[in-house]
Amino acid sequence: MNKPTLHAKLHYVLLILLAFSTLFPVLWVLLSSFKPQSELFRIPLTLIPENWTIENYVSSIQQGNFARYFSNTVFVAVVSTLLTVVINVMAGYALAKYIFPGRNLIFTLMIATLMIPLQVIMIPIFLQLKRLGMLNSLWGIIIPPAATPTGIFLARQYLVTLPDSLIEAARIDGAKEFYIFRKIIWQMSQPIVATIAIFSFMWRWNDFLWPLIVITDNKKQTIQQALANFVGQLQINWSELLAMTTIAIIPVILVFLAFQRFFFSGITAGSVKG
Amino acid sequence: MKKIAVFLTILLLATSTLFAAGTKEEGTKETTLSVMWFNDANESDVFMKTIDDYLKANPHVKVDLQVVAYSEYDQKLKMMISGGNPPDVARISTNTLSVVVDSLEPIDGYVDDIEKVKQEFLPSMVAFAMNKDNKLVAYPTEATANGMIVNKTAFDNAGIDLDAVSKTWTWSEWEKIVSNVIAANPKMKYGLAVDFTPHRFSTIMYQFNGHFLNADQSAMEFNNPGTINTLNWFKHVHDSGLVPKSVWLGSENPAELFQAGLVAGHIGGSWNINTYNKNVKDFEWKVVNMPKAAINSSVPGGKFVASFKGSANKVEAQKLMAAFSDNAHNEAYCLDTFNLSSRADATIDYPSNSKDFDVFLSELKVTPAFTANEWKNTNLSKVTTYIKEQIVEVLLGNVTPEQAVANVDAKGNTYFK
Amino acid sequence: MYGRASPLLFGNLMKKTVQGNFHQIKAPLLFLLPNILIFVIFIIIPAIQGLRMSLTEWGVFTEPTFIGLANFKELFQDKVFWRTFSNTLVFSFFTVALMMLYSLLLALLLNKNALRGEKIFRSLFYIPSLLSMITVGIAWRFILGDEMGIVNYVLRSFGGEGIHWLTNGNLAMASVILVSVWAGAGYYMVILIGGLQAIPLELYEAATIDGASPARTFRSITLPLLKSTLLVVLVLATISSFKAYELIFVMTKGGPGYATKLIVQQVYQVAFMEDRMGYASAMSILLMILIGLVTIVQFRISGKDQDYE
Repeated sequence: MNKPTLHAKLHYVLLILLAFSTLFPVLWVLLSSFKPQSELFRIPLTLIPENWTIENYVSSIQQGNFARYFSNTVFVAVVSTLLTVVINVMAGYALAKYIFPGRNLIFTLMIATLMIPLQVIMIPIFLQLKRLGMLNSLWGIIIPPAATPTGIFLARQYLVTLPDSLIEAARIDGAKEFYIFRKIIWQMSQPIVATIAIFSFMWRWNDFLWPLIVITDNKKQTIQQALANFVGQLQINWSELLAMTTIAIIPVILVFLAFQRFFFSGITAGSVKG
Repeated sequence: MKKIAVFLTILLLATSTLFAAGTKEEGTKETTLSVMWFNDANESDVFMKTIDDYLKANPHVKVDLQVVAYSEYDQKLKMMISGGNPPDVARISTNTLSVVVDSLEPIDGYVDDIEKVKQEFLPSMVAFAMNKDNKLVAYPTEATANGMIVNKTAFDNAGIDLDAVSKTWTWSEWEKIVSNVIAANPKMKYGLAVDFTPHRFSTIMYQFNGHFLNADQSAMEFNNPGTINTLNWFKHVHDSGLVPKSVWLGSENPAELFQAGLVAGHIGGSWNINTYNKNVKDFEWKVVNMPKAAINSSVPGGKFVASFKGSANKVEAQKLMAAFSDNAHNEAYCLDTFNLSSRADATIDYPSNSKDFDVFLSELKVTPAFTANEWKNTNLSKVTTYIKEQIVEVLLGNVTPEQAVANVDAKGNTYFK
Repeated sequence: MYGRASPLLFGNLMKKTVQGNFHQIKAPLLFLLPNILIFVIFIIIPAIQGLRMSLTEWGVFTEPTFIGLANFKELFQDKVFWRTFSNTLVFSFFTVALMMLYSLLLALLLNKNALRGEKIFRSLFYIPSLLSMITVGIAWRFILGDEMGIVNYVLRSFGGEGIHWLTNGNLAMASVILVSVWAGAGYYMVILIGGLQAIPLELYEAATIDGASPARTFRSITLPLLKSTLLVVLVLATISSFKAYELIFVMTKGGPGYATKLIVQQVYQVAFMEDRMGYASAMSILLMILIGLVTIVQFRISGKDQDYE
C-alpha cells in the first residue's frame, strides 16, 4: 500500500497548487474588501489589509436599498430556477424519448437560440416586452430567461441514457404520459435537476442583461445592477464595489454547497441501475 | 426535503416583501415622476436630499428614482425613448446629451423668460444644452473642467517651486522639469498619466491648436497640423517613458497610478478632487495650470437634468427641474457632491480645495468656445471610440499620425453626409 | 450503450444513435410547449426583427430605410470587422482547447469518490464560475496590471522586469484566454464529473482484474464513454467563447489597439456608440452563421466514429 500513498500525496499537492492559483484572485477581492479605499492603490502592495475595516460593507449595505435588491434577486433566482428546472426537464424528456415529426428542427432551433448574442436584439426584445406589459415587472426577468437551451441540452443528454424499459413497463400498466413523467422520469432525474438548478440559480443571480432591459424602477433592481452602479462615468467606487461583490458571491456558493452532494451522488446511483 | 423547505421559506419571505411594495396607495391627482440618475459617487442620494424640501412643499408630487450604471446609461435611455416610455426627468452627461438631444423637451414653453434662465448659467454650459433649433433643452447642474493634478510632495523633494514654474510653463519646459522630479523621487516612475479617453486627449489637442471638426462643424477635420503635432507629441512622451504605456495600451486606471505615487501628474478633471481627498494619504497634491503648447486650454463638460418629449408628466417634470436648478438647490447639490456649479451666480464655500477649484475655473475661462460645440456634436460622438482606437494604433506604431487622422476623417465623414 | 447518447443535429445520424422510440405527437409537444412559447415570443420573434434590420439603415431614433444587401457589402470591406473576426477565431480556438483540457484534468482529479476533502475541492474549483464576468475582470486586473498588478509587483521587487500582460498585444490575447479558462473551467468540470460518474464502476474493476494500465484504462474506457459529455462541453464552450465580451472589455477594453477586440464588442460599439443598428445586425448575423457552421462541424466530426461499444 506504499505506492498509492505516494500517488495520493502527489495528487493532493497538484490539487492544492491548482486550488491556490484558482482562488488567489478571489482571495484578493475578499481581502481588499476589508481595506480602506486609501489602502487599495498604495505601493508597496499588500495582500493583507493593514487597517482592517468593515466600513465598506456598512456603507454599501446602506447605499440605496440593499435589502430590497437582495430580496428581489433571491425571488427572481428562486422562482426562475424552479420554472427552469421543470420546463427544461420536460423538454429534455420529449427530445430524448419520443420520435415525432419536427423533432430535429425543434432541437436545432433551440440550440440556435443559444447562438444569438442577445445584446444585439435588445431593442426588439424591449418592444416585445412592452407589448406584453411585462416591462418593469420581476416576471419580465423571470419568465423570458427561464427557457435555457443549455438546460434542455443537459437534460436531454442525461435522460437519453435512462433505459426505455422503465417507460415501456409503465405504459403496459396503462399509465398516462404525464403520469410517467411525474412518477418515473422526474424521480430518476434528480441529479440532472440538481445540476440545472445550480446552473440556473447562478445564471439568474449573475444576470445583468435581462434586468437592464426590463427594470426601470429602483425598487425592482437586482444585485448585479446595484453592483454596476458603483462604476461611474468618471470614477469607480472601489471599496463598496468590492464589498458588495463579496456579499453577492455568498448566496451562490451556499446554493452550490447545498446541492452538490445531491447531484454528484445521484448520478452514480442512477448509473448503477442502468 | 429540508433544503426545499428552506427554499420555500425564503421564497415566501421574498414574495411577501414584494407584495407589500406592490400595494401602493393611490391618492388623488398624484403625479409620480420617474427620474433616472447615474452615480459617480453618491449623487443620487444627494439629489434626493436636495429636493426633499420641494417634495414636502408639493405633496402631490412623488419621485420614483431609478439609478442606472453609467456604462449602460445611454443604451437604456435609447431603449426607453425608442420604446415610447422615456423617464420624466433624467440626469444627463455631455456625452449623453449629444446622443439624445433631439428627444429632449425644450424648456422655453415652461418658463416665463427663457433668456433670463440662460443668463443664470455659465455660457459654455448653456452652449452644450442648446438643440439644433437653438432652444435650451436641459438645465445645467454641475460643471466640470479637465486639468492637471500634481504630486506636490514629489516636486518639493526635487527642490522645485511648483507655483513658480507652473504659472506659465510650456510642454517642453514641463518635460525637463518633470524629468528632474522623477530623478529626485526613487518610487516615482513617470511624469504624467492621461485618462484613456478622447475627451482628455482633446485637452492637449486644443492646446496644440488642433480640433476635430471644421469651423462650421459641417465635416470632420481631424486632419490638421495641430492634431498631427499632438499625436506626434503624444507618441514621443510615451516612447520616451514619460507617460506610462499601461494606461492607453493596457487600460490601467491613471488615478490609481497617481494615488500610488508612481506618476508626477494626472490629466483628469475637477471630479478627481473628491476622490483624491478621500484616498491620497501619503503625499500632498494640488491642481496646477496645465502647460501650454500653442495656447492654454481645458475642455468644459458637465451634467444636466432634462425632460423628454415623450414624457407624460412634462409640466411637473419641468417644475421639479426648475426648482432643483435654482441657486439655493444647485449650490447645496454641488457642495455636497463636491463639484463646480454651472450657475454663473454660484458662490460655494467648499470645506477644502477652494484654490484647486479656482485653478479649474481659470483654465475654463481661457478655453476656446468652439471646444464645447465640438463635444456636443452628435456625429462626432459616434466616432469617438474609433478615434481612441486610432490614437492607440499610432502609439503602437501600427499607423502614422497622418494615416490615423485620414482614417478618422474618412470614417467620421460618413456621419456628416 | 452509454457512449451512444450523443445529441445530433441531423436526422440520419440521430436515428442510429438515439434509443427513444415512442412514436407520439401530442405528449412531446405538450412537454415542449412552455419552452417553445418562451423562445418564440422572447427570442425568435425579436431575432427575426433583427434579421430584417440587417437590410436597413437604421439609427435608434430614425425610421429604418430598406437598403438591400448594402450592409453586407460594406461588411466585406470593413477592415476592423475582419480584424475582430480573426481575433474571435483565435480566442475561441485556444480558449475552447485549453478549457477542455483543464476541465477534464480537474474532473479526473476529483472523480475518485474516495479522496478526502474531494467535495471541498470541487466547490473551490467551481467558485470562479459563480462570479459575474465583471467581478472576474476586476479581480484579474489587480493581478495582471502593468504597474499596479501583483504579479509584476512581485517580479520587480525581486529585481526583474515587469511582464506586459495587458499592454502587449499577443500577451493580452494570451491573458484574456487564460482568464476565460480560469473563469469557465469549474462549470465544465461539473458537467464532466457528471459524465465520469455515469461510467459503471464494474468496467474499471474488470480492467483492473485484466491488469490494464491506467493509461490504457483511460483510453479504452474513460474516453469513449465520456465522449458524449465531452461533446456537450465542446459545443457549450465554443458557443460561449464566440459570444465572449464582458470579461475582455473589463480587462483590456479590446486593446491594446485592436489586439483583443472580438466581434461582439464591435457589434456593440457599432449598434450603440455609432448608432447603426442595421449594420450591427448584419455583423451579428455573420457571427451567428459562423457559430452555426462551427457547431455543425463539431457535431459531424464527433458523430462519425460512434461505433464503439
